[in-house]
Amino acid sequence: MNQNLNEPRHPWMRLTASARTVRDERDVTAPYGFATRVAALALAQERKVTSLFERFALRAVGIACLLALGSVALNYGALMSGPAGAPAGAMANVDDVLLPNTDAVAVVLDIAD
Amino acid sequence: MPDEAAPAFDLAGCLDRVRQRDQAAARDLVDHLYPLVIRIVRSHLPRRVAEEDLAQEVFMKMFTRLAQYQGAVPFPHWVSRIAVTTCIDHLRAQKRRPEFRWADLSENEADVLDAVMTNENDVQANDAMAAHELVHKLLGQLKPDDQLVVRLLDLEQKTIAEIAAITGWNQSLIKVRAFRARRKLRKLFQELQRKERS
Repeated sequence: MNQNLNEPRHPWMRLTASARTVRDERDVTAPYGFATRVAALALAQERKVTSLFERFALRAVGIACLLALGSVALNYGALMSGPAGAPAGAMANVDDVLLPNTDAVAVVLDIAD
Repeated sequence: MPDEAAPAFDLAGCLDRVRQRDQAAARDLVDHLYPLVIRIVRSHLPRRVAEEDLAQEVFMKMFTRLAQYQGAVPFPHWVSRIAVTTCIDHLRAQKRRPEFRWADLSENEADVLDAVMTNENDVQANDAMAAHELVHKLLGQLKPDDQLVVRLLDLEQKTIAEIAAITGWNQSLIKVRAFRARRKLRKLFQELQRKERS
């Protein structure tokens, strides 16, 4: 037996040469309904992915807006009386700026003084 | 016989309409590409996988990735790459390859194999089907990638450049795989000759 597989007389080459003569007579047209099913599935899948994204994206934007408005409303007072309105020298004592006026301990200490 | 008067399929126009989510165009595209896809699927069909299921998987991938198609290669080539890689993925999933044994061959297949190994004659025309089955069983002993290369080279008689176009692999890689596959086949023949027909 020839050892080189590329050799035309090697059993492999003779087998493949013979195998090539077998013609595949099977039908190559799509079975009835195949194209319709695949097209519908493919487009439905695409729409599902898009609509899921759209739905979650819009909800996320809505929730983010509500949270932003809520946090602005809650901190409205702090924002208005924040360091922006304070004189330039006032930032030297950070505690003065950061300590809230409503701090219970600060109020007690203030009364004690 | 194809209808001579039938207009040529407008692939570019069809793709545009599919991108605009036209279901009729998507159906036409599947119908148009089905022969190409089913031929690839049939020649690389893994065991226990229905050809229609595999063809459907190929088309679903094609639609999912359609936005990625830039037109660098002709669209049928791009689809055939998807088909080939889908088949290879399925072949890889079948980790265990059945052992090739004389005892598992039909009488006719064993006769043909015996004949090609003991004489230098060509296989007789009426044994072509047995030779065809034998070739597929022998190819089944190779790794999926190697199997694909040898099948395209020796059965479909494609050139290295054509295989590169179909698979997207570079030519050196294809040559390496062909070399490795042939070495394995050579060993297999030597082993079969040593064991001989019991």
